[in-house]
Amino acid sequence: MNKKFLALGAVALASATVLAGCSASGDASSTSASGSKTLSIYAWAGEIPDSVIQGFEDETGITVTVDTFDSNETMISKLAAGNSGYDVVEPSQYAVQLMVDRDLIATIDQSKLEGFDNLAEKFVDPSFDPGNEHSIPWAWGTTGILYNEACTGAPVTGWSDMWNPAYTGKVYMLDNMLSAYIAGLQVNGLSATTTDQADIEKATDSLLEQKSILAGYNSSNYADLIGAGDACIAEAYSGTTSATAVEANPDVHYIIPEEGGTLWTDSFSIVKDTKNEDAAYQWLNYTLRPEVAALVTDDASLASTNEAALPLVADQSQVENPAIYAPADSLTNSEFIVDPGDALAFFQDGWTRVRAS
Amino acid sequence: MTTPTAPSGRRRSIPNLTGYVMLLPAVAVIVLLVIVPLTVIARDSFAISDPLGGNLGGFTFDNYGKLFDPVYAKTLGYSLGMAALNAAVCTVVGYIVAYYIANRPAKTQPVLLVLVIIPFLTDFLVRTFAWITLLGSGGPFITLLKLFGVEATSFVPSQAAVTLSLLYAFLPVAIFPIYASMRAIDPSLREAAADLGAGWWQTHARVFVPLSAPGLASSVMLTFVPTLGVFVIPVLLGGGKDPLVGNLIVTLFTEFRNEPLGAALSMVVLVLMLASVAGAGLLLRAAGRRNARAARNGKEGTA
Repeated sequence: MNKKFLALGAVALASATVLAGCSASGDASSTSASGSKTLSIYAWAGEIPDSVIQGFEDETGITVTVDTFDSNETMISKLAAGNSGYDVVEPSQYAVQLMVDRDLIATIDQSKLEGFDNLAEKFVDPSFDPGNEHSIPWAWGTTGILYNEACTGAPVTGWSDMWNPAYTGKVYMLDNMLSAYIAGLQVNGLSATTTDQADIEKATDSLLEQKSILAGYNSSNYADLIGAGDACIAEAYSGTTSATAVEANPDVHYIIPEEGGTLWTDSFSIVKDTKNEDAAYQWLNYTLRPEVAALVTDDASLASTNEAALPLVADQSQVENPAIYAPADSLTNSEFIVDPGDALAFFQDGWTRVRAS
Repeated sequence: MTTPTAPSGRRRSIPNLTGYVMLLPAVAVIVLLVIVPLTVIARDSFAISDPLGGNLGGFTFDNYGKLFDPVYAKTLGYSLGMAALNAAVCTVVGYIVAYYIANRPAKTQPVLLVLVIIPFLTDFLVRTFAWITLLGSGGPFITLLKLFGVEATSFVPSQAAVTLSLLYAFLPVAIFPIYASMRAIDPSLREAAADLGAGWWQTHARVFVPLSAPGLASSVMLTFVPTLGVFVIPVLLGGGKDPLVGNLIVTLFTEFRNEPLGAALSMVVLVLMLASVAGAGLLLRAAGRRNARAARNGKEGTA
């Protein structure tokens, strides 16, 4: 009996030691070594080209480490857990709101910024972050429609085409609640940023009705399916995959739907408990330079928020590709997707119903 | 562990202690990787969530209450159905393959078993994408059908593609346990069955299936349980229109930012899994007893 007890105690002790070891090493990595300057960035995968990091390190002598995430929720939960050790993060527009509410990102001292004037007008004082108090937009894009004209037989102009029974079994929606609701709301002439329960329920009904036409929900390889003609129309994000599909096949087009369309933007923010504030401001100012901002298009096939950078992009065909830079006149009705707040529950109820129907 | 020749009690106590010490790594692994995470999930499933994706702690039954929504019951039902179908298909195909392998010469058996594993050295996601290419338009299946004049465009997305890909993903875990129990069957039993006039069907139904029952049961469990957690295959090959419960849990944790609800659904799935394992165990024990009784009766009959 005693021996058993002893053995159990030993097990418990060993486990505790292992656990303690984990947390100790966690602490060690979050404190920067004194002497050499460091900057730790947590950003979307594929949004900061190596050329930008290399240039910053060469000029400032600061050692940069970049970790990447592929969803805002992952990033927020990591920061919310505390002691993340990151100095700069790159939230999307609605995530900026969430992080301000949760007190995870710092207020930016505008007087320390250089080159803020370079930003395009639509990213200055945006709806999700009045006065750019917490975020400096870096890359942007749209949610639109990718289609193959050889398959549709006619140009596609808006969301209503994604409800056309003629394309039954050839239509894909993005496998993402808020993105699907953009189409569901705008096809009814409603705002994509509504928080009204009746509006959202109407969109839910439309999405339910659409399901019989759909081939499926897909956020991973829809551009391949459109390119190969296996699908005719897909709700799509702008960026590398859509841009490549448009470039590779003259029948493939990317459009912003006439009912509206939406914008997203990923911005740099300073983490609240950063220990490297100076380096963080150096990073913000470095990335506001036109010649640096142009690299996000040249090396990552993403649209830059920096107006002054556009003429400096080496490959101007990228600036003309609507799947990277949506034409300005198509964006007149477009909105930023903002955080739905408490209305999230209406979206969730509806989306659960749509997916399980 | 214990040495049977150890004469004195004092000497026996030493290997006992080393036994416990040697258990340490295994116990630590189980505590750290199974019991701790499960406790966290169980605790979270009763927590209160805030709309920002936070976990406020506290205690509530609301999360379980929400799962009574017929929407969840429908997805759970569909998932259980898919898991049962997959377990059945895998076990039948696994039985045929295992029987084939077990009846090859002793030298070729290990080679065949290695061949079964080789595809699984490649990443799971890569193999799933390979199925898209194989079953999609321009793939070999469609090309073959067109040769015979059948008009078809693509098998992806479809329910059939999901079923096929699930079979492919889980077949090895079905083959191995069945092969293990099949190997233990005395080959002369087949000759005996043939001598007594049993046909192919009778030989299997009355000799091989009952004797490999433990392997078949493991195969059913090892394929049924993990199928409930699959979430990539229905999205890539099924078009994502009919989510499995695994997809729903991912959505709850990420897009819905509702860890407590996701944790509650995970607990329900866990309980269903445990219940099915227990159920299978009971069935197996009952079958074992019946077999034993049958064997005894058989002996009495011949005596």
